[in-house]
Amino acid sequence: MNDLEFAELVRLHAPRVRALCAATLGNADEAEDAAQETFLKAHRSLDRFSGGSAIGTWLHRIAVNECLDRLRAAGRRRSDSLDAILEADGNALGAVLSESSPAKALEDRDLAERLLARLNPEQRMALTLKEVQGFTYEEIAEAMDCSLDSVKARIKRARAELLEITRHFSGADGV
Amino acid sequence: MNHDQIRGRLDEWLDGALSPAESSAASSHIDACVDCRNEVSRLKRLGAALFAAPAPVDPRSTEAFVARVMARVEEDAVSPWERFAARVLAPAFGLALAGLIFTISLPSAAEDDSPLGVAMVDAEAVMGVAP
Repeated sequence: MNDLEFAELVRLHAPRVRALCAATLGNADEAEDAAQETFLKAHRSLDRFSGGSAIGTWLHRIAVNECLDRLRAAGRRRSDSLDAILEADGNALGAVLSESSPAKALEDRDLAERLLARLNPEQRMALTLKEVQGFTYEEIAEAMDCSLDSVKARIKRARAELLEITRHFSGADGV
Repeated sequence: MNHDQIRGRLDEWLDGALSPAESSAASSHIDACVDCRNEVSRLKRLGAALFAAPAPVDPRSTEAFVARVMARVEEDAVSPWERFAARVLAPAFGLALAGLIFTISLPSAAEDDSPLGVAMVDAEAVMGVAP
């Protein structure tokens, strides 16, 4: 594959890879760097791409691994406590999750990021691939190189943990 | 499937991961079960709250991204050995060559009419020859 062909590949797959990195990593600069790194790694290993799967799937797998590495590193640095989040932003989240208002995205994306950062990297990745990318469980299993049962368990645990946290915000009957 | 079984698989129902028969059975149950319906509502609200829809992609942004990636690819195409050669060996070689040229351009110490040669002859005359 020459440079022109590779540039075309980047052009074609960049939107989804960038969206994945942005949704998974939260931080815009880091997401951009991760997306670039994904294509750089793909270029380095083009000769090892067997063609056994679609090239889009292969790129997603590289992006997933890149983001997981960064999430694991971020997890080691993370210091936000649940109490700190509750104290600072409990009301905002409670309002968004209230049954009395229509479902909508949190305007404070930093708060959403801090909540998602409480999940372990694999759970967060599986849930993001489902919620943002609209992947099927089979596609998630392929992108994360794990079993279908692992995907089900990760998504289920991720949502359960987030529901448990958000119950703190809106009371026992809330969300 | 009974209530507990369906309650445990609401995620899969929501994500379209159940078989058609299982999904149909779950849908019928959820329609009739307030508890399951509320849980589905919570799960939907949670997803909507935490995961904003991706912003529409600006084609100019994609082109700029492609350019950045290709610049890194080009930079990456230079092997570590080539980088080492360019950054370390080339200057070192240049310095060595300049030193060599400077040394060659110096007058030879063996030449009789050199100032150093004269100095040695003079020293022998003054101090004498060692026994």
